[in-house]
Formats: sequence, C-alpha cells, structure tokens
Amino acid sequence: MGTTFILFLSASIFSIGAIGFLIRKNPLVMFMCVELMLNAVNLVLVAYSKFLQSMDGQVFALIIMTVAAAEVVVGLAIILTIFRTRHELNVDHIDVLKG
Amino acid sequence: MFETLEKYWNDGLEPTMVFELFNQGLTLGVGMTAILAALGVVVCSSPIYSALYLIGHMVCLALLFLLYNAEFIAAVQVVVYAGAVMILFLFIIALLGAKKEELKLTDITLERFIAVSFVGTLFCELLMTLAVGETKPVTGAMTPEVLQQVGSAKAIGLTLFSKHLIPFELASILLLVATVGVICLAKFQVKPIRRRTR
Repeated sequence: MGTTFILFLSASIFSIGAIGFLIRKNPLVMFMCVELMLNAVNLVLVAYSKFLQSMDGQVFALIIMTVAAAEVVVGLAIILTIFRTRHELNVDHIDVLKG
Repeated sequence: MFETLEKYWNDGLEPTMVFELFNQGLTLGVGMTAILAALGVVVCSSPIYSALYLIGHMVCLALLFLLYNAEFIAAVQVVVYAGAVMILFLFIIALLGAKKEELKLTDITLERFIAVSFVGTLFCELLMTLAVGETKPVTGAMTPEVLQQVGSAKAIGLTLFSKHLIPFELASILLLVATVGVICLAKFQVKPIRRRTR
C-alpha cells in the first residue's frame, strides 16, 4: 500500500484519539486516547522509514515509545494520588490542584 | 491495490504478484481493524473494555509495522505497549474499580459541539496532506536488500548510537526523572481533604 493509505489511516486514528480525549470524562480512558494519538504518529514514522529507505523514522518511533511509557507511569501515579484523596474519578470534578 | 488487480487481469498470474496482492490486502484489512479498535476505545463506556480494545489496536499496529519491514519496532510495540503499559492500565483499573461512565453519545452539549468541530477541522487539515498524492520512491542507504542482510535491530542500533546519540541519552534522563517522580508521588502521603460542597 502506498503513502496515501497510511496517511489516511494515521489521520483517522489520530482524530479518533483526539475526539476521545475531548469528550470522555474518565482520566484513564483519556490516557488511552493519548496512547492512540502517539501510536498514529508512530505508524507514519515507521511507514515513511520504509518509503524513504532510512532508519531515522524507526529510531524516532522508539523514542516516542519511551516518552509514552514515562508519561503513562507518571500520569497513572497522579490519578492514583487524586483517587486516594477525593475518592472519585471525573475530570470535571477535579478542579483544585492543592492536595 | 487496484492497479495490482488490473495488472493481474492483463498479464495473468505470477507468483510475485500474488504475494504483492496478498500483502496489500492484509495491510488494508489490518488497517481497518486498527481503526475499528480505536473507535471501540472511545465508544465503550466501561474502562476495562476500552483497555481490551486498546490492546487489540496495539497488536494491529504491530502487524502493520511487520508489513512495513520494521520487525524490531513490532517486537517492542508488543512487549512495551501491549505488555507493560497495558498491564499497568489494567492494574490501575483493578485497583480503582471499573466504574461505568454513563456515556450518552447522542446528546449534544456545547462542549461536545466545540470538540467535534475542532477535531473535524483537524481531520480535514490532515486529509489535505493526501492531496499531494503518493510520495515518490526515494533511494536511501537502507534499501530492502541491505536491510535484509543487516537486520532491523542492528540497523536501528547502528543509527541510534551514532547519529541519534543525544536524543537517546535525553530519553534515558527522561526515564530517570519519571522513576524519581513516581517514587515521590507514591511515597509522600497526602492528607485527605474534605470534599468541597458546591
């Protein structure tokens, strides 16, 4: 398949992730939508690494995976801390940062 | 895909063409499955189903990476994403209790309208990149023959430790900072506050 298909696929996945991030209220699902967006970018990087016959795209996909793992770990720790103090998980009700 | 079908129609059956056709059909099928799984993540009201759909999406993407000659990235995708990250998600869901979120996708609020219009614009702008058409084939250093000889993992390693050494070191610092941050968040207890009455 050519670049058109992969760009369309990636644009669709990125948009689905973005809309999910904006309309969902559960922070866990919002994090999953961020993962969707990062994966869409990874897809384009890897596909173009084949089309341009260079390894740079795959290296950057690897670095994006590192960033995603770090982001998920810190984000889930913050969600856990918020849940311990407030006993609920709804981003609309989390409006103070002070413990 | 259709060009290949047409060529097949004109020239008759050839083994390489069958392989090509199979490859393209597989790419199309796996890509559509990835989109459906992504929709499942957003639409499901229970976080546990969202997580399961996300695992399916990650596996589809790993298959796509395999189809695009990136074996090492596909393996890392399965091990790191579908393995480690999703297990972490499932642990947190199990710890917090998977409460269903009442999700009425049909009713339109102002925020939802703004979100949909924003993302619709974004999607249209992304689709405008398709207007330039297919990227012309470029001959680089890593032709498929060279890649077949060297191997995906070795090729990535050679690039990573020579040309992209600084981003690699920065990524290691990022992981260290994340570790320290999580330990700080988990270690220091915060006193529960009374819930604000509104």
